[in-house]
Amino acid sequence: MSDDRIILDNVSRFYGEVLGVNRVTLSIPPGITSLVGPNGSGKTTLMNLLTGLVRPSRGRISVLGVDPSQPQRLFRFVGYSTQFDAFPKGLTGSQFIYSYLRLSGTSATECAKLTARAIEQVGLVEAADRKVAAYSKGMRQRIRLAQAIAHDPRVLILDEPLNGLDPLVRAETIALFKRYAEQGRHVVVSSHVLHEVDMISDQVVLMSGGYVVAEGRIRGVRSEIQAERPMQFLIRCKQPSLLASRAFEQDHVVEVRLLPEDGGVLVKTRDADGFCRALNHLALAGIDIEGVVPADDNVHSVYEYLIGTEEATK
Amino acid sequence: MMRLWCTQVLSIVRLEMKKTFFSRRGLWVYLLAFAPLLLFLGHSISVGHRREQLQQIAREHPISSEAFNSIQAGMTREEVTQKIGEPYSQWGGRNRHGEPREWHHSRYTDGTTELHLFFEDGKLRSVHRNPFEDPAQVSRIFAGVFQSYYLRLAVFFGCVGIFVNLFRGEMLDKSLHFYLLTPVRREVLLAGKYAAGLLATVVIFTSSTALQWLALLWQFDHATTAGFLSGGGWGQFASYLAVTALACVGYGSVFLAVGLLFRNPVVPTAAVLLWEGVNPFLPAALKKISMIYYLQSLCPVDAARDQEVPGLVHLLISPVQPAGKSVAVLSIMLLTFAVLAMAARLSRRMEINYSTE
Repeated sequence: MSDDRIILDNVSRFYGEVLGVNRVTLSIPPGITSLVGPNGSGKTTLMNLLTGLVRPSRGRISVLGVDPSQPQRLFRFVGYSTQFDAFPKGLTGSQFIYSYLRLSGTSATECAKLTARAIEQVGLVEAADRKVAAYSKGMRQRIRLAQAIAHDPRVLILDEPLNGLDPLVRAETIALFKRYAEQGRHVVVSSHVLHEVDMISDQVVLMSGGYVVAEGRIRGVRSEIQAERPMQFLIRCKQPSLLASRAFEQDHVVEVRLLPEDGGVLVKTRDADGFCRALNHLALAGIDIEGVVPADDNVHSVYEYLIGTEEATK
Repeated sequence: MMRLWCTQVLSIVRLEMKKTFFSRRGLWVYLLAFAPLLLFLGHSISVGHRREQLQQIAREHPISSEAFNSIQAGMTREEVTQKIGEPYSQWGGRNRHGEPREWHHSRYTDGTTELHLFFEDGKLRSVHRNPFEDPAQVSRIFAGVFQSYYLRLAVFFGCVGIFVNLFRGEMLDKSLHFYLLTPVRREVLLAGKYAAGLLATVVIFTSSTALQWLALLWQFDHATTAGFLSGGGWGQFASYLAVTALACVGYGSVFLAVGLLFRNPVVPTAAVLLWEGVNPFLPAALKKISMIYYLQSLCPVDAARDQEVPGLVHLLISPVQPAGKSVAVLSIMLLTFAVLAMAARLSRRMEINYSTE
């Protein structure tokens, strides 16, 4: 198994007769990978499998060459921030980080340093000596993140890490993930907030009903499904009616709509490259095109295609 | 590697300390542990006070030992009064039913024994001599309570309360996963939790045992206490502390495993309680597959020698064929090791699935 990738080889997990995940095969490279899917799609189960909190019913998992059933090796380089919003009673934020860091066998001085750094990274310095029980939801989210990053892991696994964070902290947290990814580390994130996933992810894994329905870079995933689902372009121009009629002459264009806003035309095509070439010809022919935006080249639309509108809005 | 494991075990013990010693959930453990202390303290105060009163009476109305011991059934009240004087307490009456008879109950003391005399129609019908409690008698009282209540109920349920919660409690609080996300082998985690539970139970229950012992001896003067302790009392004291600690070792391992393996610990706990409870009635071979058999074999005083012990309690506190001391210690350690080894093996398969809790 590869020593620089997270690999799941035909992994299934059943809870009795209930399916957790089924036949998942993934090879996750360094960078930010987002797990996207509706509730119950298997994202958390997948993360728990990666960290050994649950064991696969079938298949093999390797995190940078280490089997998750060996916590003594795995958690030297893996940090996991779960969604469980519970903490050991009576501990302050810094005691919480410090106490669990000590379990790794690191010296007290080193643990104190790592604790201070992690707390600073998540912006909880002022609240560090307050009991975790008195923290707000966002602060609890941040202290969990601090615990996950305290030992400077090479693999960071984060279950809905942006939940409950205010916009400023959200931006800082995303910046932290990006820094990790730039350093060649793995950051695996699950999220419901699709525009954020779009913004931060190098690659996405789309899940539904315990299955991986698509994986790869957003654009790559989009191309894969292009043959089955037409791609949409939003074009702004001075002569929308003329553009609409010329566009409709292309045999790969399946739908053209004039939008109520001034100068907007929505075109659905089965051949994105062919349509872009045709647009160049139209521009040369004198149609004044102000802008072209791929209207569905993002996670949301891909997700909508693959999983369905209702679930995508959750 | 061993050094790392020891460091990790110590870190786990530090983390668990507050939960095992000071959790609100565990307050009843202190109640179980220290209830006999209150009982013995009350007994000691009451008996000590009574003894002082009687010794004062004996000083004011001295009776010679010869006269005191010469009292026997069949004597008349006048003869008794002639020999040992007027009683310090007496009361009497007349039978209301059957043949009318006049009766009297008189009490005397020589400062070491209380004499109860029952007269009927002026004739002494029965004589009861109640010597004041001595340390040997007190040690038998302690042995009875220790074997029938302390080992079988207090230490047993105390270990249930502390050891079951080490895993089960954190599963219910949904905080166990923090341990599982650290670079600690599951076996080391189990060892750390066991050490934390053991530290708490041993401190709570052995300190209670020691205090109970002190409370019972408190009624005696310094010379009597010193005489008793130097005449084998210290050995008994050390044995009780060791038996208490061994009970925590044995029961602790069982209930740690119960907390790890069972979602609802009530049924397995009841099963263990039943098994330990019916131990006296089991065939010899089955008796040996229990903690209580070996623990009772290690107790230094045979409480069952006390004539006043009721029949059922007699069975509970007296192993018919006690095991040898070294066999008993070795057996408890082996049972503990076997249970912990099985729990360690199963801990590798432990998963976090709070939604089913």
